[in-house]
Amino acid sequence: MAGNNAEDVEGSAGADCKTNSTAEVPPEFLIKHPLQNTWSLWFYDNDRTKSWEENQIELTTFDTVEDFWRLYHHIKLPSELRQGHDYAVFKQGIRPMWEDDANKMGGRWLISLEKKQRNSDLDRFWLDVVLLLIGENFEHAEEICGAVVNVRPKFDKIAIWTADTSKQQANLEIGRKLKDQLGIHGVIGFQLHRDTMVKHSSATKNLYTV
Amino acid sequence: MSASPIARQATHSQAIPSRRVLITDPAQMPDVYSSTPGGTIYSTTPGGTRIVYERSFMMSLRQSPISQTPPKCSLPAALLKNPSSAQQSPATPAQKPRSNSISFDESQETFSMDL
Repeated sequence: MAGNNAEDVEGSAGADCKTNSTAEVPPEFLIKHPLQNTWSLWFYDNDRTKSWEENQIELTTFDTVEDFWRLYHHIKLPSELRQGHDYAVFKQGIRPMWEDDANKMGGRWLISLEKKQRNSDLDRFWLDVVLLLIGENFEHAEEICGAVVNVRPKFDKIAIWTADTSKQQANLEIGRKLKDQLGIHGVIGFQLHRDTMVKHSSATKNLYTV
Repeated sequence: MSASPIARQATHSQAIPSRRVLITDPAQMPDVYSSTPGGTIYSTTPGGTRIVYERSFMMSLRQSPISQTPPKCSLPAALLKNPSSAQQSPATPAQKPRSNSISFDESQETFSMDL
């Protein structure tokens, strides 16, 4: 893929942390904590000269809690991105595209944010969604493909993509947990990718709501 | 000791347990991909094994010196935080003496295996 840089982010931290005496450092700070899955961070670059697919760039992968934070500390927050840009965090090997085999039968829980929420909620929601994913906090975590944040002029959107729309119980569990953890008061809906494909998202009907 | 199981494993020097399992038939493969043939090193529970972290635990690791180091991969310059306006990232170098203010909530189970 164009501009793809999936270089591993392993262990360059050694030099930085042996400067101090380790006597009073909590043991948790001496190691990296492995994640259940390896995750890819994708960026959608809104370059008009490129196709939609060419604009999807897999920036890097991470498989420990610390490597996630290293990335997070050094890249822009969603609210700092240009409008038209996306971040996506997907299990390694799954592209953030409907056409990917892992997404073909899938759908998404969609959170639409009003313009004013870009300052108050967007970054907080996105971080919490990513932590829910990489910490494997869903009972049906195996159904999770990834999550996307779209920064747009009208509504910013955050979505969790799941693998199989027919698994009602699993999808409802994911939706309820998402709503609960983020403290969302309104109703959120789950849409099939194959419906989103043919209609504008505002007109897409919800298969499930919580 | 309040260390998580992962930290306990890692900070006590010991060989990484390994075992070779010979697969002769696809039927011997586990039916969930969170498991490996013959079980995982984190032990096996029905339905497979998962490494689960709670939000509060991951947030506490945010302060780890390792978490402050720059990522090794090259990222597009347009995506990097502007260093002069990086107000939210505590730009304190890892060498700075750490206080004991960062503590772990021992009463809370910060690491759990999915059963």
